[in-house]
Amino acid sequence: MIDVFSYVPAIVLLPFFSFLIALGAGKHLPKGGAFGGITATAGSFLLSLWVLATVAGGDAANRTLYTWASAGGIGPTDVELSFGILVDPLSALMLVIVTLVALLVHVFSLGYMNDEGETGLPRYYAGLGLFTASMLGFVVADNLLMAFMFFELVGLCSYLLIGFHFREPGPPSAAKKAFLVTRFGDYFFLIGVVAVIGTFGTAQFAGPESFPALADAALNGSGSVAWTPGGLDLMTWFTVVGLLVLGGVVGKSAQFPLHTWLPDAMEGPTPVSALIHAATMVAAGVYLVARMYGFYALTPTTLAVIAFIGGFTALFAATMGLVKDELKQVLAYSTISQYGYMMLALGAGGYVAAVFHLTTHAFFKALLFLGAGAVIIAMHHNEDMWDMGGLKSKMPVTYYTFLAGSLALAGIFPFAGFWSKDEILYEALVHAPGEPLLFGGYLMGLLAVPVTAFYTFRMVFLTFHGEPRSDTARDPEPVRWNVKGPLTVLGTLAVVTGFINMVPVQKVLGLEGIDLLHLWLDNHWGGIEGLSSHHYGDIGPYSSEYIVGGEVATVLVGAAVSLGLALTGLLVAWRLYNVPSPTEHTAKLGGIKDVLYNNYYLDELQVWLAYRTEDVAGGADTFDQGIIDGVVNGVSSVSLIGGDRVRQLQNGVVSQYAALLTLGLVALIVVLGVTGGWFL
Amino acid sequence: MILEALIAVAFASALVVMLSPNEWAGRLAFALSLLPFVGSLYLWSGFDGSGNALTGGDIAYQTQIEWLEVGGRSVSWFVGLDGISLPLVVLTTFLVPLAILSAWTPIDSRQSQFYGLMLFMEANLLGVFTALDFFLWFVFWEAVLVPMYFLIGVWGGPRRKYAAIKFFVYTNAASLLMFIGFMSLTFALGDSVSSFALPEITGAIADGGLGTWFGISPDRIAMVAFLAMFLGFAVKVPIVPFHTWLPDAHVEAPTPVSVLLAGVLLKMGTYALLRFNFTMLPDQASALAIPIAAIAVISVIYGAMLALAQKDLKRIVAYSSVSSMGYVILGLIVFTEYGVGGATFQMVAHGLISGLMFMAVGVVYNATHTRMVGDMAGMADRMPVTVGILVAGAFGYMGLPLMAGFAGEFFIFVGSFAAPALPYAPVFTALAMFGIVIVAGYLLSAMQSTLFGPFELATDYEIGPAPFHDVAPLAVLLAAIIVLGVAPDIFFEMIRDAALPVVEGVSVNG
Repeated sequence: MIDVFSYVPAIVLLPFFSFLIALGAGKHLPKGGAFGGITATAGSFLLSLWVLATVAGGDAANRTLYTWASAGGIGPTDVELSFGILVDPLSALMLVIVTLVALLVHVFSLGYMNDEGETGLPRYYAGLGLFTASMLGFVVADNLLMAFMFFELVGLCSYLLIGFHFREPGPPSAAKKAFLVTRFGDYFFLIGVVAVIGTFGTAQFAGPESFPALADAALNGSGSVAWTPGGLDLMTWFTVVGLLVLGGVVGKSAQFPLHTWLPDAMEGPTPVSALIHAATMVAAGVYLVARMYGFYALTPTTLAVIAFIGGFTALFAATMGLVKDELKQVLAYSTISQYGYMMLALGAGGYVAAVFHLTTHAFFKALLFLGAGAVIIAMHHNEDMWDMGGLKSKMPVTYYTFLAGSLALAGIFPFAGFWSKDEILYEALVHAPGEPLLFGGYLMGLLAVPVTAFYTFRMVFLTFHGEPRSDTARDPEPVRWNVKGPLTVLGTLAVVTGFINMVPVQKVLGLEGIDLLHLWLDNHWGGIEGLSSHHYGDIGPYSSEYIVGGEVATVLVGAAVSLGLALTGLLVAWRLYNVPSPTEHTAKLGGIKDVLYNNYYLDELQVWLAYRTEDVAGGADTFDQGIIDGVVNGVSSVSLIGGDRVRQLQNGVVSQYAALLTLGLVALIVVLGVTGGWFL
Repeated sequence: MILEALIAVAFASALVVMLSPNEWAGRLAFALSLLPFVGSLYLWSGFDGSGNALTGGDIAYQTQIEWLEVGGRSVSWFVGLDGISLPLVVLTTFLVPLAILSAWTPIDSRQSQFYGLMLFMEANLLGVFTALDFFLWFVFWEAVLVPMYFLIGVWGGPRRKYAAIKFFVYTNAASLLMFIGFMSLTFALGDSVSSFALPEITGAIADGGLGTWFGISPDRIAMVAFLAMFLGFAVKVPIVPFHTWLPDAHVEAPTPVSVLLAGVLLKMGTYALLRFNFTMLPDQASALAIPIAAIAVISVIYGAMLALAQKDLKRIVAYSSVSSMGYVILGLIVFTEYGVGGATFQMVAHGLISGLMFMAVGVVYNATHTRMVGDMAGMADRMPVTVGILVAGAFGYMGLPLMAGFAGEFFIFVGSFAAPALPYAPVFTALAMFGIVIVAGYLLSAMQSTLFGPFELATDYEIGPAPFHDVAPLAVLLAAIIVLGVAPDIFFEMIRDAALPVVEGVSVNG
């Protein structure tokens, strides 16, 4: 019997080797090292499928593989810092998603980068490889510190890839912003990591000695923790720790108010956007909450905050998506909004719903970005939707797959996004009574549904329907198999992924066993004790209340409402934009449009904050030069009265200096001798 | 005898290079400087010390020979290594050859003297990190200043005289203060010690050997001595507000000298703080935990804010050293194994990373002849490899995981967050940690405006890739930073072994 889990490190290392190869020898390889990356991610994908099959067979792994820093004291307790793998249904699923999307992105890059004659390809493929490897390392991490470390490496890779076109002014600036804004979130995350280690003496995710288990035991009185900061009760402290870690999540998953980096990150090559938004960096934040859900479920306040941030971000970002002119910008805001939904689900106790939406979104958003990439190739890198139109007939594969992705994004039955979004709203609804923050999150999430459908189809109609509005749109550049292939795969997934978890059907018709994802994440086929949706439900604070009749009625009403709202948004977009020559209806919004178009001026606020920080730094510098160094120089001038003579001593002549040193030493010894009684 | 050989070889090399012709002094110095490095690797491979050299641990490669008598106490040639000093010895011998390589391009006059002084400095630095007798140690400590003074004052930039004198006078005055502090301590020990051997003195203090001296109570003497030594070393580290000599010295010093100044000389200060203040007088340190932690945090944040305001790349890196040294002080004052160990690890990590940064900035400067942020843009276009390594080094400075800087900082943070010896430890730690955001701010901004965007340079001449001997040391340093970041235990384990007795020395942890 081969132990598949011993190959899990290879899943991470294969893309890492492709990074090394592309970096070291990419110049001499065909396609700038692309084939190395494709081979590596394909290998990782196959291994991940194998792991998935093994987990489905009832196996799981929680192993420490490498001691990074051996045991030592940190005050209240001893700790050992290590790397390991945690393979359970959640991480196995995520491995497959990440490696599949990474593989498709690599293939697509052949069309988007190589065929378009980009330079610096070895650097590009090295970046993709490292990005994939970092994300995979994060996914399999068995403890919070390792997760943080790979989380940061993901941040580095985003910097390198967003700033890929470093010779232009825009991308380096966007790259800096992405790293800096997420670093701000990671600051809190790092405090959280240190606090978890200090409190529990461990950062393990799973097992009886893991920090979620220890926290649970401490709260119900059957255990204790190593340390809490003076005077704080356990619940308060755990809430603080949870919120600290959440800082990193808010940064990476681009939640309000740290979402501002993400639209700028569109400066990166489009395949990179697909990777960042669908399967890696942005997904990392939500995945982290899911990974340590056993800890978050213990603290109701944290959950409520997560739900509210999520719901708010979902609506807030969707409104900004309404008025954007550039294809990728619309998608960027939709990403922020969709991750808001996942956060809402996690905060609402809908662990499975969140993972479900993470999965469906990974496929349909990768699809939309790659579709947008195909359009951008066709349009000779013009991204303005007002220059497009009528592409439907000229690029049918792109159109139909993009349409599938859009229907999924808008949440139209029976596309993937419908099922997952519906379940999120359902979970929020049944858990909301008596939870004002959660109820607020639910309402905002619901409101965002028609907005999402509207901006999505505004985008579709402007891009593909109507009459071509520019010469390039009349004669777009054709795309090749390496673009169409990934689109077809993802288009199919955007249609069918929803069927892995048809909870409404199961509930309404009473069909057992078609909510596969629920069973999967509930360790139905095996998994790790303490990491199951049931366990999270048991320790979580929520109970279900059906405000409209019973469970079945609530399911039906909820689904009908969200589908109705989505269709309304779609129809409005149809009415306004599915015409031969659409006009900018959003201009009628007047001042509101300006506010939305300028992202509520939040970027300006952050720039203003950055400048004020620089002002403070400048003030500190003046203080330092003037006062502190002034005192130093003042003291020295006073003591160097008659400085000419002293300067003569210090004129760089060795012998004089040596004489001075000797004299000084003699004097010292004399002083010493006198005080020490040497001469007495 | 290997330790003596190491130091002797460095001295002899200095002399040989000093007498060699300028044309091949650089190559000769590089070749000779490899000898101590190989020697230190040999020391590392055969290292069998355990515990702390000052608190009765097993000292590796120990030699103790009576030398002379001062004030009724014997002075001896007493050297040896423990888990704290060995990594610093390896760091020194590793950095010197690389620094010498980085001097080949910029140093174009009086080469034999330059390289001779570099090696002379190395010999004394090795002495500082190995000496276990106060007088011996002090001789090396002071002798380091001499080559440094000339290296800045002769080969430096336009304001080299000012910078060299400021460096020399400031640190020398501080040494005097420290010397007085230490002497008052030894004399208050009276007859309970018979030598200037540091282990003996440490042991005597721990056993309550301090007596009343000129009517001053032992507690007060210990506290005064602590403060005098702390201030003395604070200048060397440097800790805010005693840091203003550092940027001036760095800006004027030629690249290889900056490498050693930031890489090794600053660590003399933190090393001495650890050895003298925190090992000999732990309870005094512990009593001052809050103010010391406060200045550590101020050093981190204030140093980083100053770096943010700078326009000269070298000044940016110089001020960020002030910030990084703040972390070290925080790690020392919390008196935990990870804290003190992490502080020591951070000395090595920062030595490598700041060395890399100064060297990389130097290579860019060799080509551009300017270091000002506004004078150039898009350098990545012309010097891709150098800039690539510079970016990697900058991320190392920002504490990117799997690089040495993250390991050092993280050990310190983990060691300090829940430390019982420091009241409000979580607050101090969280405040200091904000440094990781500011450092990213100023390094990313500086890189964006100098390395990226369309190529631009105030002066107009062709710029090509740097020569191999400029880039090779950068690559070697980067490799070392990554190795140490992936496998920190190669040093961290022995460091913690030597740090543990220090931690146990403080009565809070008793």
